[in-house]
Amino acid sequence: MHIVIIGNSAAGLAAARTVRKVAAGAQITVISDEPGPAYARCLIPEVLAGSRDLPGIGYVGADFYRQYGIELLAGQTVTSLDVEKRELTTANGRSIGYDRLLLATGASPVAPDWPGADLPGVFTLRKADQAAAAGRWARDCASAVVAGGGLVSLKAAYALKERGLPEVTVVVKSPHVLIKQLDAQSAALVEKELAKTGIKFVYGVEPVAAVKGPQGAVQAVELADGRRLPAGLVMVGKGVRPNVELARRAGGRVDKGIVVDDNLATSLPGVYAAGDCIEVTDMLTGDKTTSGLWTLAVEQGRCAGYNLAGLPGSYPPPLTRLNAAQFGALPFISAGDVRGGDETAVYQDGGVYRKVCFRDGRLVGFIMVGKVDRAGVYTALIKQARHIAGRLKDKVAGGTVTGADIVYSRTVPVR
Amino acid sequence: MQEVLVDKERCLGCRSCELACAVAHSASKTLLGAVGEAKKPLKRIFVHQTEAGKIPLNCRHCAEAPCIDACIAGAMHRTAEGVVTNTGGPAECTGCWMCVMVCPYGVIRSEIAQRLAVKCDRECLDEAGEPACVRACQTRALKYVEVDDFSREKRERFLISLKS
Ligand SMILES: Cc1cc2nc3c(=O)[nH]c(=O)nc-3n(C[C@H](O)[C@H](O)[C@H](O)COP(=O)(O)OP(=O)(O)OC[C@H]3O[C@@H](n4cnc5c(N)ncnc54)[C@H](O)[C@@H]3O)c2cc1C
Repeated sequence: MHIVIIGNSAAGLAAARTVRKVAAGAQITVISDEPGPAYARCLIPEVLAGSRDLPGIGYVGADFYRQYGIELLAGQTVTSLDVEKRELTTANGRSIGYDRLLLATGASPVAPDWPGADLPGVFTLRKADQAAAAGRWARDCASAVVAGGGLVSLKAAYALKERGLPEVTVVVKSPHVLIKQLDAQSAALVEKELAKTGIKFVYGVEPVAAVKGPQGAVQAVELADGRRLPAGLVMVGKGVRPNVELARRAGGRVDKGIVVDDNLATSLPGVYAAGDCIEVTDMLTGDKTTSGLWTLAVEQGRCAGYNLAGLPGSYPPPLTRLNAAQFGALPFISAGDVRGGDETAVYQDGGVYRKVCFRDGRLVGFIMVGKVDRAGVYTALIKQARHIAGRLKDKVAGGTVTGADIVYSRTVPVR
Repeated sequence: MQEVLVDKERCLGCRSCELACAVAHSASKTLLGAVGEAKKPLKRIFVHQTEAGKIPLNCRHCAEAPCIDACIAGAMHRTAEGVVTNTGGPAECTGCWMCVMVCPYGVIRSEIAQRLAVKCDRECLDEAGEPACVRACQTRALKYVEVDDFSREKRERFLISLKS
């Protein structure tokens, strides 16, 4: 059996590993339009910062592909699928047959629609080569503007500061950074930590144009309120869009991402999909949404791996908000729904902040800043959707719940 | 694979396991030495007070470990012996706390200043192959056993997974 996986990253490799584990004899081919072995995509800000090079963020050992018997076709773009013939075509005209196919094509940054967005010096941050190119460009810059207040934008801003840029300004349309993950109080702590490095913030306004300088490259960013911020480099972090084109052009169902069933099968025969390219159902809201997280891509890749190998397994609706990071000396974690809920408990003491959100007696979200130990217990409580009351609830609200409490708590799960 | 199992009826909460774990992970490997070390040795087992009594908890080295899935650096991995650890693997831990965020047992520590996640790594086995926490447990609340050795009823008394 020949299993072909398009995507050499979180989802694709988790699938490949799983197939190898459960179907020792399968032939496995992994195709990627990026050169070289897999790298830790989330760590490309370190390449931008110049603190590591590409080999320094390798995701697998040197021997990985040989050890797992995986044929890696790196630097090859798949351009079309023929699902009737079970065959795909690459940009250099090669045809590759398969018995089962996995689309683990990830997502691409949303490009800005402003005039000047294609000027030299305007970047997005998704691939290692972009990070390296932006890092090289940054060497000759005195100032940078980062558009967007999401996690990738903040990591980019932090990296540009590490690179040594004197002026880095983050332009955020929302009233505070990390609007999806944090509330105003916790965001203020993160902002303060970032500001210590010299990063500046502008809120409530969006860039409308990149302005060309005398050398033909970007020199400034124009904001909606008419202000101009000098910018030798512009980093745009406006989110990502799932890479669905291969599936769509082959006639597969696509909505917010590639549509898959419980077994991660697409509507195309023999074709599965996993990772940032698919649409998932959020376990808390029941809404269809994009996946967008490394953790979920790995989970889905593994689940797809079983299905590819002919061992059916279903993928339950995931928790789609799940972020952890640290800037400077400040760690933070945010999971689930941190703005909704009908009851919240908040604790703040200097640089330590904790908020837990309940809805209908269940934990639906939390934020931890400054101290993050045992956060996973809270994540588990959200996932278990169990009714939380009495002493357990006090402990959850008070930040003292431990793994032992949930292993032995007498409360019954309700679903 | 061998697992550290917990008999919750037997734990008196003496914390000998915590101490032994910290000492085993110290530079000197002795209690006296460990106390004076500049880098405070860190325990990776935690005795918790619950409604059901005292319970020591450490990494279960889960079969499908969420911490491995979540590790964005590729540092958290499973060794050939089945041990889940973020040291000595294909990549270095960067202290992003993804593992801390997803471990349902809450047994991965975040060393903020060091940017290092710290967990049970089984780097504490004695000549007989027994972990320090188990060796230190005087009431035999902790046992190190081949999991398959256990009959079903016996396992009932032991904490083996969150699902149980
Ligand atoms: C800077 C940054 C920081 C991040 N931080 C976090 C974080 O802290 N936590 C978190 O959970 N997530 C984070 N993410 C998101 C995370 O990286 C993604 O969720 C994850 O990479 C998704 O994995 P994937 O395998 O689905 O897709 P991707 O990693 O996007 O990989 C897609 C693969 O498909 C290949 N491919 C696509 N199209 C084709 C084609 N036509 N032909 C051949 N090959 C193709 C690509 O070459 C690539 O190998 C971050 C992302 C970035 C950019």
